[in-house]
Amino acid sequence: MKLLYSIYKEYKVLTRDRSGLAITFIMPTVLILIITLIQDTTFRSVNEASVPLLIVDRDHDSLSNVLEISLIKSKFFVITKKQLSDEETKKEIATGHFFIGIIIPENTSKKLREKSSARISKLLGSFSGDTSAVAEPLDTSKLKVQLYFDPITKKSFKTTISNSIERIISQIEMQSMVSSLNEKMKESFPLATPSKLELTPIVSLTEEYASYNNSTIIPNSVQHNVPAWTLFAMFFICIPLAGNIIRERDDGSAFRLLTMPGSYMIVILGKMLTYVIVSLIQFALMLCVGVFILPLLGLQELNIGNNLPMLFLVAFSSGLAATGFGLLVGTIATSHDQASLFGAVFVIILAAIGGIWVPTFVMPEVMKKIAVISPLNWGLEAFYGIFLRNFGFKEIFPEVAKLLLFFAASLGGSFLYQKYKRLK
Amino acid sequence: MSILVDIQHVSKKYKDAPRAAVNDLTFSIDKGNVFGLLGPNGAGKTTFISMLCGLFPTSSGEIYINGKTHKTHSKECKQVIGVVPQEIALYPKLTAWENLMFLGHMYGLSGTSLKENVKDNLRILGLEENMHQKIVSYSGGMKRRVNLIAGLLHNPQLLILDEPTVGVDVQSKQAIIEHLKKLNRENGMTILYTSHHLEEAEDFCSHIAIIDDGKLITQGATKQLIADNNCKSIEEVYLKITGVKFRDK
Repeated sequence: MKLLYSIYKEYKVLTRDRSGLAITFIMPTVLILIITLIQDTTFRSVNEASVPLLIVDRDHDSLSNVLEISLIKSKFFVITKKQLSDEETKKEIATGHFFIGIIIPENTSKKLREKSSARISKLLGSFSGDTSAVAEPLDTSKLKVQLYFDPITKKSFKTTISNSIERIISQIEMQSMVSSLNEKMKESFPLATPSKLELTPIVSLTEEYASYNNSTIIPNSVQHNVPAWTLFAMFFICIPLAGNIIRERDDGSAFRLLTMPGSYMIVILGKMLTYVIVSLIQFALMLCVGVFILPLLGLQELNIGNNLPMLFLVAFSSGLAATGFGLLVGTIATSHDQASLFGAVFVIILAAIGGIWVPTFVMPEVMKKIAVISPLNWGLEAFYGIFLRNFGFKEIFPEVAKLLLFFAASLGGSFLYQKYKRLK
Repeated sequence: MSILVDIQHVSKKYKDAPRAAVNDLTFSIDKGNVFGLLGPNGAGKTTFISMLCGLFPTSSGEIYINGKTHKTHSKECKQVIGVVPQEIALYPKLTAWENLMFLGHMYGLSGTSLKENVKDNLRILGLEENMHQKIVSYSGGMKRRVNLIAGLLHNPQLLILDEPTVGVDVQSKQAIIEHLKKLNRENGMTILYTSHHLEEAEDFCSHIAIIDDGKLITQGATKQLIADNNCKSIEEVYLKITGVKFRDK
């Protein structure tokens, strides 16, 4: 009964604290919306998204047409065609209007056909004993297609794009060679009706994200930001919780409660349970934002996986860890200002190193190693496991255990500190 | 009269402090007494009250409440005590009713008896009409009266009052003192009272102890103390014993 009434009291105090409610519920919602929108383009540029590409077509023939069609089919690019000089093209790319510029010089297709034809003639001449064809020197000069890249392009991304375009051009070259071969064969066998040579790739790569239990969810900004900022908000609860403890200490309520038989422990327990419930409500609310609100803004819908009990377990463990930390801050800090400053700075540092702002998979190796000391990283990794890899209890247990140990250590730390102060 | 609180050679020295905050205090409080504990700032009153309430242990000596100590019978000792701190130890965003119901539950009370108890106390101290207003909207005097009720809910044998009338108007002060006198007279409630209002202490307390520098300087029945020191009031006795030097410089 004492515990229930203590929770009821905390609920009343909390619901009448507007600034506390704003920090608890509005701040994470706003953060999720803003950061997800901001980071969405970055995540897409890494994953699948549309790279703005400028084609300056001076060829107006088969090569430029096939190249354009292939680029469109790749779904990597948003293509714009313009007739510009080399300098103007460079300027367009350098000023960031396009990520890549391609200049296809005049008569490239025509020259490609001529070169293909010459190579095929030389080859067939060696079979038919046409010594003049074999003796004729081959023009080995290369046709040039100019690529311009935005200077901010990362080397790895540039290589990927170059390779893609080179592959498309190789296919066009191959097609040209086969066409030349066809024509020469027709000259040698005018009555034959050859079937068309199949040029579709013989070997294809099967690509898939490594996943567990047949889950094939691809990480995106929504899947990162919703759990990340929810965890941030859960740990930010330490500020109102610590403030609540300090206020009780300053206004004499703690003194009064300590004089009551066994009541202070119950009040602290009630406080902690209330804040754990609040953190679970926060979590549920942020999931709703991910599932229902973000798609309205043109972002992907949050896929929460299919293991709700594990999701609850991770959220509950994270809530306990955050509450324990709040209790420790409230016990050690001597003033509300000190608790706010210390709590906020500490949570921001833990968030930064834990991969909340910048995901750990894009962090340097050193930071990846440091990230594992942050409780926010433990929670985030567990959520990644559930959202992306469909992990079960066995797989998330290490992260959950770390969160629970952090809670126990914070709790133990605050009781020991309090005892030390009493005996001082 | 039987002894409710027995203080035996109690001392308290904080770690790193140059001297003891409480130094070999020995006195007793009989049941039904209104006992005034007076002394300048820094005399050791708050430290003594904290030890009496079981907030921290003594460095040496024993405090007996109804013959029991906090060390061995903490729950029983705390059940005997009601505390009214100097601060308004209430939740400002809760109403008076909500505050008192919460604190009542923390004392282990519940149900209709608690509700009746809260209502009666609020009525007696003139707060019935405002009981569903938040504490933050109350005047200083109203807050003090609710603060007092919070210490009385479980009908304690020993009520500890730390400056219960500081910063309140004459009407509220009158209401508080009259209610306390009535509780003492009709329920036999023992009261330990600390204050800097020496005139109020003289009027209210049957017995007075004066401490300074952590030591007990004098104690006795109020009228007897005045007579023994050839003074006209407790204020004169106080100044005669403690001097005029500042203590909290």
